[in-house]
Amino acid sequence: MGDFSLIGKSMKRIDTPLKATGQAQFSSDLMLPRMLIGKVLRSPYAHAKILEIDISKAEKLPGVKAVITAKDTCADKWGVFRYTQDQQFLPTDKVRYVGEEVAAVAAVDEDTAIQALKLIKVEYEELPAVFDMKSALESGAPLIHQDHPGNINIHVNIDVGDVAKGFGESYYVREDTFTAPEDSYFQGEPYAVVAQYDHTGSLEIWMPNAGPHLKAKPLSNVLKIPLNKVRVRKIAIGGAFGGRSEISPADVICAFLARKSQRPVKLVYTREENSIATRQAHSMIATIKTGVNKEGRVISRDITCHMDGGAYSSTGPIAVSVPFLCMEQAYQMDNIRYNGYRVFTNKPIRGMFRTHGRAFACGVDLQLDMIGQELGINPLEMRLRNARKVGEFTPTKSYVASCGMTETILKAGEKASWNEKWGKLPPYHGIGIGCNSVQTGFPMGIRGGSQAFIKFNEEGGITVITGIVDNGQGNDNMIVQIAAEELGLGVCDVQLVNADTEVTPSDPGSYSMCETFIGGNAVRLAAQDAKNKLLKIASEALKASPDELTVKDRKIYIEKSPDKSISLSKVIRIALSRSESISGEGSYWPKVDSKREWVENPSGQLSETFSFGTVITEVKVDPETGKVDVLEVTAAQDVGYALNPKVIEGQFEGGIAMGGQGGMLSEYILWYNGRVLNPDQLDYMVPLAIDMPRINNIIVETIDPNGPYGAKEAGMSIAMSAAQAYCGAICNAIGVDIKEFPLTPDKILNAIEKKQKVKGDEGSE
Amino acid sequence: MKKITLTLKINDEKYEIITYPNRTLLEILRDDLLLTGTKESCGEGACGACTVLLDGLPVRSCLLLVTEAKDCEITTIEGLAKGEKLDPVQESFIEHHAIQCGFCSPGMILTARSLLNHNPAPTEEEIRFAISGNVCRCTGYAKIVEAIQALSNRGRE
Repeated sequence: MGDFSLIGKSMKRIDTPLKATGQAQFSSDLMLPRMLIGKVLRSPYAHAKILEIDISKAEKLPGVKAVITAKDTCADKWGVFRYTQDQQFLPTDKVRYVGEEVAAVAAVDEDTAIQALKLIKVEYEELPAVFDMKSALESGAPLIHQDHPGNINIHVNIDVGDVAKGFGESYYVREDTFTAPEDSYFQGEPYAVVAQYDHTGSLEIWMPNAGPHLKAKPLSNVLKIPLNKVRVRKIAIGGAFGGRSEISPADVICAFLARKSQRPVKLVYTREENSIATRQAHSMIATIKTGVNKEGRVISRDITCHMDGGAYSSTGPIAVSVPFLCMEQAYQMDNIRYNGYRVFTNKPIRGMFRTHGRAFACGVDLQLDMIGQELGINPLEMRLRNARKVGEFTPTKSYVASCGMTETILKAGEKASWNEKWGKLPPYHGIGIGCNSVQTGFPMGIRGGSQAFIKFNEEGGITVITGIVDNGQGNDNMIVQIAAEELGLGVCDVQLVNADTEVTPSDPGSYSMCETFIGGNAVRLAAQDAKNKLLKIASEALKASPDELTVKDRKIYIEKSPDKSISLSKVIRIALSRSESISGEGSYWPKVDSKREWVENPSGQLSETFSFGTVITEVKVDPETGKVDVLEVTAAQDVGYALNPKVIEGQFEGGIAMGGQGGMLSEYILWYNGRVLNPDQLDYMVPLAIDMPRINNIIVETIDPNGPYGAKEAGMSIAMSAAQAYCGAICNAIGVDIKEFPLTPDKILNAIEKKQKVKGDEGSE
Repeated sequence: MKKITLTLKINDEKYEIITYPNRTLLEILRDDLLLTGTKESCGEGACGACTVLLDGLPVRSCLLLVTEAKDCEITTIEGLAKGEKLDPVQESFIEHHAIQCGFCSPGMILTARSLLNHNPAPTEEEIRFAISGNVCRCTGYAKIVEAIQALSNRGRE
């Protein structure tokens, strides 16, 4: 790559000094004059008709300024897709899970708001409910939505090649079923919304979000006000992991409370509300049948996957598809059939999560290990033989323009000493490998692309204006890094205005891992546009053609005669005095197939490019307690090009904590009749510093042909591969394949005991 | 319930507070004094986001009644830097990329400060143990541990 000042360097992030000093403001930190506190009344029933809601007593309580029910809203049904519009933000007819929003109040303080909730009388008629997929799918099961017979919400079918013929030609075929319960995002920042109407009657709203424009549009629809009257404003965000992607009832409720009370309102969810009334990850039952030839190359694969979606569609079509798509991107599969079903149950709503489908992904990988064992091929070699290669098409017809899958396997294997360790570790020690691939953005309709603007100040500094949002991963820094690099500026010369829907242009949002690729390209193009204008003016002053000029250290030079230069500030002043425009504009629309659709047409270019990752994990299991000690984890990902290596390492390490350490060892939601039994931090076990192993990071660069400087998604392939590597390592350590995740001590002990019993029985025969 | 009057010493300044005695230190800091650098995440003493230093020791301000903080030296994240000069722990967290979303950072940094004050040469294990009451969901802790290790006298040996 070229000689860069900032790109490719582990520069300090611009947003972290404010975060280190406590000055960064998150939504719940906001305090506005005359602000009220909002609280939500939730359903105590999993499934019940709403007969009547009486708010008269609550309204009369001194200090209460607004009480809202469905009557105060337009009661439209909302959904991410036209065909998934099934959720009212405050329901009119019935509630479908314990914790569903029924009414809300705004009062002068929290105690008054809580007291007011107790004065709202709701008359329900309880209905029979279904709490698991098996019951929901039985004939005669209570229908959660009348227009969805059998409680099937979404069915995605992909059928490529000839699966039956493939199995016929296979040397070895096996089928296994893998299961996993729901898991939780547990972002550090509890969900919080602040809303007010400004002096022009426009809504100003702050909330954790992964895409301000994705929040503004549904708010405009629900509030029946034009989009330019909704301003989602920039604020620091305490993590997303897929869980801040779509509009939340909290956003809408807070906006309605502010409208009705004509005062600013703050609504902060408790930790319990964060567990039940924001999204969760889907539970899953995945049956995977795979046929291979003698060399272990997959010939045919048939996957049926059921996902518990909870009460409403949410991002259902995407959630059903993505676990499969990640695997078809990572591994070659010529004959493949996928049937993914999302099932409605009377439980909280499920959405997208950083680790898409533990049961699914771990199933595919663990089954490769099992097949390899039958054929005498080790897991790393099984992956090398099936790895995706550059220039190939995925089964659903996405061209793979850059791919370092094989390199990540080889480099991770070497660093983790795979060949020295596989099959040679002491008893109850194990090593496992997982591979995955993640798409960098997918067709998202009108908000698929990103735009950016750059404006200059007379002393040579710039303001970059973009819709890109930063949930904590470092996007703010990425924007500044790119703009400063292109224009030969220092970081301190760049002012950033981003993630504010009133002033910043459209952007897909920071999910589906697209901001570096799509938003970063837009910023780079805007900077190049501005640079071209600057060079034109400078070329007149320096009497050289623009091609001969370069920008660095706030000056424009003649490249071959660096002593001949003009300062950027002078060029800008010349432009201003001539009334010439020197602002920059950039726009990037990823080259994807806009006709591709999740359910109707799952075929065509899904994403312009894909990341590829490998994780290898080494563990020691205590056979007495079932406790797993993770000794070392090695993560390798093809990130295209590392714009800021230390930021990428941080993403890898966080992914291992969430996908592997938490996702595979300790994180799951417990239920009793549709109620979450562990909605709090004491009972939902996220990893702590003492739990985490030593981590080796390997950044693989393939220089994507279209990414900014060759960059693409960084970190998410690791989060997913980590789950698979952990599961493989533990199964390797105990010599038993456990197919129910996460691998908690009880399951590990049971598996060990069962194995010992079988051995004992064999011995006594 | 009757309101009480008490004096709090926060970041070397004295504050006269008139409040109900059932309120937590966290509520007073955030809602009354607008010191919002102290965060609330779990609200039950499990995550450490609301950590402040009480006479130099890390405590969870969500579990502490404000009356229990009377007569103590309270340090919040806003009081760690001296003017424009950041505390070395803050500098090290920035330098080592130990901050991602930043929600846990105030509590984590204060816990680290207290650890180093009481044990200037902690081992990696001691660091991990000391910060295990502070949950970080973004970083996987590796860079946080590195940032603290860089300040350990042991790390400089």
